[in-house]
Amino acid sequence: MDYTDAPEVARFRSELRAWLGSHASLLRPAGSAADAVERTLAWHRALAAAGYVAVSLPAEYGARGLPDIFEAVVNAELARASAPPPPPIGHIAHAIADFASPELKARLLPGLLACTQVWCQGFSEPGAGSDLAGISTVATRSPDGQTLRVSGQKIWTSGAMWSHWCLLLARTEPDAPAHRSLSMIAVEMNSAGIDCREITMSTGSTEFAEVYFDDVAVPAANVIGEPGQGWQIAMGMLSYERGPADMGWVGRMSTVLAAAQEDVRTGRTPADDALRRRLAACWVGLQVLECQVQRSLARRAYQTPGAEGSLDKLLATRVEQNIYATLADLAGPAAVTGDGPVFRDYLYSRAQSIYGGTQQIQRTIVAQRLLGLPRAR
Amino acid sequence: MDIRLSAEQEMFAAAAADIAAEVSGRWSLGRGPDTVSRPEPDAGSWRTIAEAGLLSLRLTESAGGSDATCLDACIVAEQLGRHCVPAPALGTLLLLEQLRLAGAGYELTEPIATGREIAAIALSRDLRGFATEPSQAVAFDCAGAKTAVVLGDQAAFYPVEPRPSADLSRAFGELDTSAGPCRTVALAAGQDCGAADRLLSFALSLIAADLLGVMQAALDGSVAHATARMQFGAPIGSFQAIAHLAAECLVSVEATRSAVWYAAWATDNLPPAQAVLAARAAKAFASVAGVEVTQTAVQIHGGMGMTWEARPHLWLRRAHASRRLFGDEDAQYDVIARAQLGQPGTEI
Repeated sequence: MDYTDAPEVARFRSELRAWLGSHASLLRPAGSAADAVERTLAWHRALAAAGYVAVSLPAEYGARGLPDIFEAVVNAELARASAPPPPPIGHIAHAIADFASPELKARLLPGLLACTQVWCQGFSEPGAGSDLAGISTVATRSPDGQTLRVSGQKIWTSGAMWSHWCLLLARTEPDAPAHRSLSMIAVEMNSAGIDCREITMSTGSTEFAEVYFDDVAVPAANVIGEPGQGWQIAMGMLSYERGPADMGWVGRMSTVLAAAQEDVRTGRTPADDALRRRLAACWVGLQVLECQVQRSLARRAYQTPGAEGSLDKLLATRVEQNIYATLADLAGPAAVTGDGPVFRDYLYSRAQSIYGGTQQIQRTIVAQRLLGLPRAR
Repeated sequence: MDIRLSAEQEMFAAAAADIAAEVSGRWSLGRGPDTVSRPEPDAGSWRTIAEAGLLSLRLTESAGGSDATCLDACIVAEQLGRHCVPAPALGTLLLLEQLRLAGAGYELTEPIATGREIAAIALSRDLRGFATEPSQAVAFDCAGAKTAVVLGDQAAFYPVEPRPSADLSRAFGELDTSAGPCRTVALAAGQDCGAADRLLSFALSLIAADLLGVMQAALDGSVAHATARMQFGAPIGSFQAIAHLAAECLVSVEATRSAVWYAAWATDNLPPAQAVLAARAAKAFASVAGVEVTQTAVQIHGGMGMTWEARPHLWLRRAHASRRLFGDEDAQYDVIARAQLGQPGTEI
């Protein structure tokens, strides 16, 4: 048992810290929402140019070919520096690298990894949320087999408004069983027939969109992997991104909690004994979550991530929702008498039990796949 | 970074589990409060535990021990909890660690480490720490013990009387301080300044590991019951209402395991004050989770879970006792809050 960084991890971490220290100017908060998007994209390009994007991708693609733990270090250090998170493209990059044809890889990976081409992910649909295999977007092959024509609607597509590419899950093999009937397709967002509409979240943010596909023509050569392999690729992707990103999440919540602790310590925010205990319980939860996430990351050195990721997600849900509910209560009546960030952050935390597989879906995965409980008939 | 048990540790855990199951198997829950066995081991069981070296783990090799890590001790504690072992092994591990860190000599530790003599630890009445004042002490894990030990400049042994406790697998007891100690042994002076924190982080880690074992047993029992028990023509574990309860229990068990491993590693590898904080976190989390998981086990077992002959109450009882040992979650939160937020009501 050893919780210390291996020498090469420690070296990578200190290099990254030094780089972050000398690029602090990139981290200034933005003014308008549009400004914020442009600053985030510029941040991603700077990270990519310095070689800190998708560091676990093999060296043949121009990446560093490092173990997953290094991805976690990037996430953790960016959180520690209060920098925006790295672009969430590791799972897309791995899907393309592992499954796409050599021609497609050569066409897609350079822009993706340099963050000059922005990608979004078109999986969920209005009628297919938790039941992802039930999607109804179809991609029909033309008689000559050269073109796919895509029709349907996607939803919860982060960053669709400013993306160049969409990684689209669509039904291409209507006669095959549900899990073999889907394909993963790279679709250019400027194709004729694509319409994006912003979704305003309950918090007021507009990072999500609905994307409509109306008979959109896509080259059949843009299918990633074999036709019908889409479900398999999607499932691999969903378990991939968890661990490293969790580490950044822990770091960000630690920063938020530390600020609240400091406000109480200096007397800026009054806290009675009950709130002091709740703050301590928040810290305990975060400490335990960090231990759990570290253990899951370390496991990746000798085991492919699987259903265990659901445990981390369920624990993260408990911890995050407890923290933001506590911070809202710490603010007292001001949380509701004004329109400040405390209530918005609390509201946003309610999404933790919904996105990336709802709490209920995660519990079912844990019950059936980790505990071996019988399936419902 | 390598966060898993080594092959040797896995084997050690399996061996400890076999012994724990064997000792537990010789004990009977009976049919009610009048027929339950006392949590006192028979001579054979106690010899088995001692001869396997489970009591002397933390002593140096020259003192007859195996220089084991805190993690090794936690591996044993998890199995003691998992099988609700009715023998004062946990208390003995704590006592020997207390004596070791106080510089006790071979003649004091040897009879206890080899199982020839059973002595109990003495805790403060609020159970939050080791006793310093004999008249304000309560003995823990004292089934089979003749004496309980209060440590100061010397180790003072007092006669002890076990009493029936809510926890059926371990006994609390009263120290008889009326005639003063029946025996005192001088301790080597000049213990290092971190010793108190080191002892505390060891104790907190060990009790959190005991809770981990109890929770694991409660979850395993619940899954087995939910798989076998049929209602509405289906195993109840196929209903989401039951399955989701069990799933959250596994989250609690694995999170506790992660926290215990880190606390145990920290106890041996980090500065004492940092290790205590990690151990307090593990103990606070395990105290909440331990009660939640064992209560859930009662619920999943349904009416059977409320009968004497079924095990869920045994787990629930032990979880509540361990939750209190060295401070429940609120006790830990209060200390953590003072460290992180300053004294209540003070403004800087």
